[in-house]
Amino acid sequence: MAGRNRESRITRRLPWALIGALWLAGCGGNTPVIKIGFAAALTGDQAPQGQSMLHGAQLAVAQANAKGNILPGYRLELLALDDQRSPTQAVAVAKKLVADRDVVVVVGHLNSSCSMPASAIYHQARLLQISPVSSNPRISRQGFDTFYRTCATDDLQGPGAALFAVHELGAKRIFILDDRTTYGAGLAEEFEKKAKALGADIVGHEGITQGDKEFTPLLTKIKSIHPDLLYFCGMFPDGALLIKQRVAVGLDAKFMGGDGLFDRTLIDLATPQAAEGVYLTTIGSDLHQMPTARQFVQDYETTYGPIGAYSGYAYEAANIALWAIKAAGSKDRAAVLAAMKTLKDYPGIFGAQNFDAKGDSLIQDIGIFTVKNGRFVFVKTATWD
Amino acid sequence: MSPTRLTPQLRWWILGLLAAMALPLLNPNPYHLDVLTTALLYAILALGLNLIVGLTGLLHLGYAAFFAIGAYTYGLLSLYAGWPFWLGVIPAAAVAALFGAALGAPALRVRGDYLAIITLGFGEIVRIVFTNLDRWTGGPNGLLGIAHPQLWMPGRGVLDFGVSSTPYYYLVLITMAVIAGVCMRLSRSRVGRAWVAIRDDELAAACTGIPVLQLKLLAQGCGGAIAGIAGAIFAAKQGTITPDSFDFILSVMILAMVVLGGLGSIRGAIIGALFLGVLPEVLRGFDQYRMLIFGLCMVIIIRLRPQGLFGTTHGKQSPAPSHAKSAA
Amino acid sequence: MTSLQLFTQQLANGLTLGAIYALIALGYSMIYGVIQLINFAHGEVVMVGAYVSLTLILMLMGLGLPWWVLVIVCGLGAMGGCALLGLAMERFAYRPVRQAPRLNALITAIGLSFFFQNALMVGFGATDRQFPSVVPPVRWEIGGISVTAIQLIVWLGSAALMVGLQLLVMSTKLGKAMRATSQDLTACALLGIPVNRIIAVTFAIGSGLGAMGGLLFGLYYGTINFHDGYLIGLKAFTAAVLGGIGNIPGAMVGGLLLGLLEGLAAGYLSSQWKNVIAFLILIVMLLFKPRGLLGERVAERA
Repeated sequence: MAGRNRESRITRRLPWALIGALWLAGCGGNTPVIKIGFAAALTGDQAPQGQSMLHGAQLAVAQANAKGNILPGYRLELLALDDQRSPTQAVAVAKKLVADRDVVVVVGHLNSSCSMPASAIYHQARLLQISPVSSNPRISRQGFDTFYRTCATDDLQGPGAALFAVHELGAKRIFILDDRTTYGAGLAEEFEKKAKALGADIVGHEGITQGDKEFTPLLTKIKSIHPDLLYFCGMFPDGALLIKQRVAVGLDAKFMGGDGLFDRTLIDLATPQAAEGVYLTTIGSDLHQMPTARQFVQDYETTYGPIGAYSGYAYEAANIALWAIKAAGSKDRAAVLAAMKTLKDYPGIFGAQNFDAKGDSLIQDIGIFTVKNGRFVFVKTATWD
Repeated sequence: MSPTRLTPQLRWWILGLLAAMALPLLNPNPYHLDVLTTALLYAILALGLNLIVGLTGLLHLGYAAFFAIGAYTYGLLSLYAGWPFWLGVIPAAAVAALFGAALGAPALRVRGDYLAIITLGFGEIVRIVFTNLDRWTGGPNGLLGIAHPQLWMPGRGVLDFGVSSTPYYYLVLITMAVIAGVCMRLSRSRVGRAWVAIRDDELAAACTGIPVLQLKLLAQGCGGAIAGIAGAIFAAKQGTITPDSFDFILSVMILAMVVLGGLGSIRGAIIGALFLGVLPEVLRGFDQYRMLIFGLCMVIIIRLRPQGLFGTTHGKQSPAPSHAKSAA
Repeated sequence: MTSLQLFTQQLANGLTLGAIYALIALGYSMIYGVIQLINFAHGEVVMVGAYVSLTLILMLMGLGLPWWVLVIVCGLGAMGGCALLGLAMERFAYRPVRQAPRLNALITAIGLSFFFQNALMVGFGATDRQFPSVVPPVRWEIGGISVTAIQLIVWLGSAALMVGLQLLVMSTKLGKAMRATSQDLTACALLGIPVNRIIAVTFAIGSGLGAMGGLLFGLYYGTINFHDGYLIGLKAFTAAVLGGIGNIPGAMVGGLLLGLLEGLAAGYLSSQWKNVIAFLILIVMLLFKPRGLLGERVAERA
């Protein structure tokens, strides 16, 4: 029986050991550092997007450190945490950032389903949160004055797409597909409302399962309904398969999607021939076209390679965070938050940046791109009626 | 039922509980408390699954579904009927228990492996249903704005738990302690012994007059109820619940906690849950390799210690010492 | 397109998916037949096969071989690789727990599944990988129904393999031993049949077939992701159960049937509920006809 006792003593001590280790880990050092928290999905299937955001933020912080003019005497550090696109982890990450007194502002999260619960935690801690790309409108409608975002919301992207589809593409019969995620379903809803209001006929609205591969039965069914346009709200892996398989099935309707398609891999996976003539909207205009973004594009591409879809937003969000710290003049969360509220006409890479009372960006440009000769080509910025 | 004596074992448990309760006063770091709270919530789930898998020996791969059912039940009651948490947790447990038994009923006749697959299928069906039924469950957005618990504190008025870490820590800790106590009593009662008899040799158990079917249903119902309680707490804590929090991976994690701790062992379930619950946070640096290591650990641990940390080695559960050397 | 044409088109689509399911289902069926283990890791073996064939194709693409030679060579390479993987799995992971309670073997299988899935993610990245289009994109219209060259390859390839397997199992001594072992392992051992070797061979063949399923999967859909193994494994297992677990023709029939049903469900009912329907079929089958359509061939564990 002695062996059993020994073993149970050890295993009984294990959780305490772990707790102790965690405790010790919590006690930080005493260097004069200001941390900018960063949260996004850095592993898992959204990893490429999260990583490209991280690079954008890292670039901003590196440039600020080099210039040394944000808060003299302090070193700037980006504290990046992975929320794996899980709301539960997002909450844990938020608490971790809140608990670290060196963190005075958070850039994050990536997914709306993560930003949503996290925003409540940042709000309670009075910690400024700037989300680069969480586009679900509801996040800023919670009444949290700590929440800001540098992208347009889906209740803009949807209508913008609808206007383009109906007025410029002349679509009268539209079939909508969404991938049953917070982002996809939300975007589809906004698009459908506007399209209907413009007089288009929504001949069908169905969902697909993310990660599914077999769309031919669905596309065959859609083919038999003869729509002018197939509008897809989802991410590029599924989008690519839809685009490719619709050719195999012989569905000749136009294909349009949201910013989830905006990744070079889409064209590779779908094959350039199949992707020719596909349209999509983005939450913001084409960075390559904007003179204000030229320097950023250059700096990013020399350090990290081709820009990801969200790198620019993260760069912008991080820079605005840095600006707020500078304007506050101190390492104090309340001061940083107060300074943020005074932001006006910030000269960002998207042009002059302003935020409304809810924290949404007033730059409401929705870009429209098409695929031509195997590349994304900017068409125009969405016009509003 | 024998009276509960103050055995050394029980003394350790009480000491541990007191120490755990003192923790927030010594280290009020909200992040640490949050991580521990999550781990303790997993411990509650592990205790529930332990009744089904550990004591009764029913292979269950869809436990996350009952967690989800409990969470959504409370969430919907909170959002649409304004029910407070303390009231809402009861139907959450009840509905989950009902589904637990209902799922169990038709599956009783099938072989063990098939039960595992049926429960897996059920788990996936529940998740997909919650994702697709927009109008009722909010679809992929899930439910937002679920009410946090509120407690009337004497002399301080109403305390809304909000998003602070400490109140939830105590809530989950106390709930876990109570459930652990209940499970301990159950396992020592006639019901518990009957469950173990079913696990060890179902045919023999039936022959001795044990109502096998009813007891299997009871196990699944109790397990479901416990998951339902955990689900309600989870929903109240997060404020927002989405279907992708309740996937197959979670079911497997809870199962792994029970197996690692030792089938049927209450201590094992709790410690297994704490270990596997805290581990991901500790391993933040290895994130890419986390699941890889996790999978490997499962294989190795079950090979090296087939009965888990605290499992017992009696009856059919004891592994035969020989490998299959027959006419190799 | 007339509704008959539509229906036939959906049938053709469903059969293609079904053929892939059938190949993968065979692996599940055979393994369950000999050692009553649901090899959770089989779906991952399929994906390993897909990734290995992808790597091989990328390596050999520049050699200017005719595409069908390329496909066959890479297919054989992937099959061989996965057969070895299957042998290793059996020897080092499953054999040691064969005497232990069932739950342990299941946990082992799940653990292996996690391990392989994440190994693929770490090794090949988390994003979808593109399968080069080596098969010429030819499309025929027969009576208003479109059939692509790839679809034809899937049908012919899987048919050839299934016929080959059936011949092996029915007409060779090895096949006879495999059938006997799945009926009564202990009796076979007593009769001097090298059961461990038979089990190992079963794993090898099952994994090899799965690898081929993975290659065809990659060719047909053009993209693969480390995460695909989970769902396709589950569906293929459904197919195996549908046809009768342990029963080789049953796995084939089950696979084709499931592919058809799924295609029809997606085409006529709803795409987002497609998986629920597949799972419901599984559950209903297990509850009401656990022996499957063609009857199962599995020894009752005493």
